Amino acid sequence: MRRSRRELRRERAALRALTSSALALFGAAGKASADTAIDHVQTSYSWSTYSEDPLESSKTIPNGDTKRYDISTQQVSLAAPITETMDFSLALTHETMSGGSPWYSAPDAAGTPVQIMSAPTIDDTRNDLQLHANYYTEEGRLGLGGGYSKENDYSAMSGGFDGERHFNEKNTTLSGGLGLSFDEIDPTDAAIYPTRPDHKTKQSYTGFLGLSQVLSRRLILQGSFTYNMHFGYLSDPYKEVFLVGGGTQFGDVRPNMRQQYAMLLRTNLHLEEVEATIHASYQYYRDTWGVNSHSFELSWYQTFGDSLQITPTVRYYSQGGADFYVPYLKKPGDPAKKFLQPDAFSSDYRLSPYGSLSFGAKAEYVFHTPWWRDIEWRGRASVERYLSSGDLCLTSVSVPAPGLVSFTVFSLGLTVVF
Amino acid sequence: MRRVGALARTALLVLAAFGSTGCASLWPDWFSDLEMPDWPAFDEYTESPKSYVEIALEHDFLVRVKPWERSVLARRDMSWDPDELEAARRNHTFFSKEASMPGGSAGGGGCGCN
Repeated sequence: MRRSRRELRRERAALRALTSSALALFGAAGKASADTAIDHVQTSYSWSTYSEDPLESSKTIPNGDTKRYDISTQQVSLAAPITETMDFSLALTHETMSGGSPWYSAPDAAGTPVQIMSAPTIDDTRNDLQLHANYYTEEGRLGLGGGYSKENDYSAMSGGFDGERHFNEKNTTLSGGLGLSFDEIDPTDAAIYPTRPDHKTKQSYTGFLGLSQVLSRRLILQGSFTYNMHFGYLSDPYKEVFLVGGGTQFGDVRPNMRQQYAMLLRTNLHLEEVEATIHASYQYYRDTWGVNSHSFELSWYQTFGDSLQITPTVRYYSQGGADFYVPYLKKPGDPAKKFLQPDAFSSDYRLSPYGSLSFGAKAEYVFHTPWWRDIEWRGRASVERYLSSGDLCLTSVSVPAPGLVSFTVFSLGLTVVF
Repeated sequence: MRRVGALARTALLVLAAFGSTGCASLWPDWFSDLEMPDWPAFDEYTESPKSYVEIALEHDFLVRVKPWERSVLARRDMSWDPDELEAARRNHTFFSKEASMPGGSAGGGGCGCN
């Protein structure tokens, strides 16, 4: 049965009244959807501390350094409207890093690789500025962005544009973007360590294409494909590879080209019955270095009343190692045979096969001060624990890298919407 | 740790099995917003059964959520990254500690961490 126009109009008016009253703090706050330019100035501050567990003493040489990396991060962001159809945002990051990092691995008496750490004397800072501006039309959005990141030994300049086009009464959205980055590295102490180069460069190009579809009033699905291409110096100048029987170490040597592909599928579902929103995502990744990975993530945004939201998150990740990952190189036992140096080799644990599991929880409290400038305040505290191991890998790993990392992140944040 | 790995693998298998069999009674009625036709559907005037094509056309094969029905979709926790600063920091951490990269955007610049 077709409904009459008058009935429809009445229904719409009722719904409009209902939705405007149902827009609780978690509903309407901030830039809820990217359909239109933001209409309020919004600023955020976040402080986080990242700390890696010390290396287990069984995974290094006796009396070896076990201290790992600590990072303290501060972030500030500002987003503001320019006109009714334009807005901009900027984000500043300041990080201080300290501690030691995995240097190379070597076999112990039983032949099992153990990790040798660098002395815990790393002292570096990173400053990063990202700018982004958007122009909105009825049918979509066009964005332009750029960024600069600087460390004592590294700098990266990046830029790109992205956009969205809505179809089907904004139920289908096609999104895409292109970007590039030019990086330079000047390793510290290059004069002391012969394996470290003086000055090297790297170029990266990236593109992505995504499609999102509204499936019902409370279910939305998005699929996207991302492609990255890197050229230049892609090795890690601070890592080395041990040669058994040679009494020598090589620098980390990786191919000077890498292509990466990632397919991401994610969905958000709101359960009105329990005032909760579920975010679920799956990503498949592979690259030309032979790495492939699966990541699954599930977050449950549970709202309590008007102001409090608690979000537990669990993430599972599993990767296969790069073709050229080796814990160490070995000279042939027969002295008549010549040692042939492979084209590429790295003892970096991040290129080894492993799996990881992380758990986190976030609490967010939102409140309004209508008596003072009608500001909305959002405070947040979160904690995340990350564990990695060879046993967590989807495929069985015979010799897991000894340098696999576990870490804890604690973070506090405040957002103010004027 | 070995046991945790086995558990994770089993959980994934169970998820995959239940997901594909559509164990519908266990889940809330996610698609209750959809108006489904009474089956079989008959034409109002000729009283002959309708074709699948006719049914699909009448009920919009793709659901069209109207602008006034978007209050839930407009919630902040229904956006892909409700907290952009935290998402940026988390993605950066995973990017620098794993061999993969986060997809879904044309990402920023690199850093010396990877």
